[in-house]
Amino acid sequence: MEPPQREPGVAAAGAEEGPVAKLDVLMLLRLREQMKQQLMECSTTVHASEESYPDHVVEEKLIKTTIEDLEREMEEVKVSFQNKTLVLHRIQLMDALRNKVKQNDDDSRLILETMKHIIMLSTAILESQQQAREMEEKLNDIKRKRLLLKQAGGNKLLQIHTTMKKQKKELASMEVGEMLEKIRNNFQKEKEMTTLIQNIFQNIIIGSRVNWAEDPSLKAVVLQLEKNVSFL
Amino acid sequence: MAVVRPFDKLPALNSATVLLVGSDESLQQKLAEAILKEKKSFKISIHLATSLPLPSERDHLRPRIDLIAFMIDIKSKYSLKNVEASLAHVDASFFLGKVCFLVTGVGRVNYCSVQTNAVWKLGEVYCSPVLYCELELEGIRVATAQRLLRMLQICSGQIPGISALSFGSLIRNSADE
Repeated sequence: MEPPQREPGVAAAGAEEGPVAKLDVLMLLRLREQMKQQLMECSTTVHASEESYPDHVVEEKLIKTTIEDLEREMEEVKVSFQNKTLVLHRIQLMDALRNKVKQNDDDSRLILETMKHIIMLSTAILESQQQAREMEEKLNDIKRKRLLLKQAGGNKLLQIHTTMKKQKKELASMEVGEMLEKIRNNFQKEKEMTTLIQNIFQNIIIGSRVNWAEDPSLKAVVLQLEKNVSFL
Repeated sequence: MAVVRPFDKLPALNSATVLLVGSDESLQQKLAEAILKEKKSFKISIHLATSLPLPSERDHLRPRIDLIAFMIDIKSKYSLKNVEASLAHVDASFFLGKVCFLVTGVGRVNYCSVQTNAVWKLGEVYCSPVLYCELELEGIRVATAQRLLRMLQICSGQIPGISALSFGSLIRNSADE
């Protein structure tokens, strides 16, 4: 444990003036730098202790957000640095490969073979992918057509349904028409009976060989009978 | 003064002071001798203590302390407790890079009774670097002395451009990776 002493540079007494003086100056400059640093540290401490904290909570939040921002920036820089390293490796690899291939010996031939094989496989992959896509398109078309047919079938069934409903309604309304039918039948029968009776009267009058043209009432009756009722 | 403060005294010209706090006095002595043997361009003053607070009778004779190295022996839980008790007597502004924890005895794995997790947590809580060393071996002792000397140079402000705080955060960031 030595007690601190003044710097030994002042006490050094050498034979040559020059180097000793230079040593002194260097020493003094170094001491000056040290004192500047120590002064900076002390003044920073003083400044730090002078600060007042009126909004302690707000400052904490501010500090936290700034810390988060800085950490995020650091992460981004790290990530970009790693990406750049990867790119650099890739470029180096490509360059080494190119140099190797230029050498044109067994290894490079192997490399070229492998690359050609890779290209062939890639083209084959592309072709098969194209075919697969076309097949998928066809499948989609067929599915679409099936959907349309289904919809048409559904519409047709709907039409049938509505038509059948209409028919049923008509049937219901035709029951009213049944009565009309009966009336028509009766009317038809009456017509036929009237025609028959007319014919019978005509035949009786003609068969009795009476001169019906002389008697005006008989004439009127026969002419009346000529009116054919069945064509009403 | 019960509490050790970093900036309450003026710095002496071209000299630095380190305070070693630990329960094992022989190890402290060995480390101090190793530090003194090193080649250095400034005056160095080493103070040894078993625990804080430092006795206040000799306070006016004591120079400004630039670096406190707490020595924890990994073989004894008592040293860890001692160091934790002494930490209460150090001013908070000391922990901005002027404190380091020195864990000794890491060569003997079988006799570890202090958990490395506890020591690491101590370093995290007090934001200070933790150095592991084995002071029984000559080579490691010399290396540790050189490291402490370098830290002392930075903490006493003798290297322009690097402050104790920047150095401390540099160590911590590189330790995190």
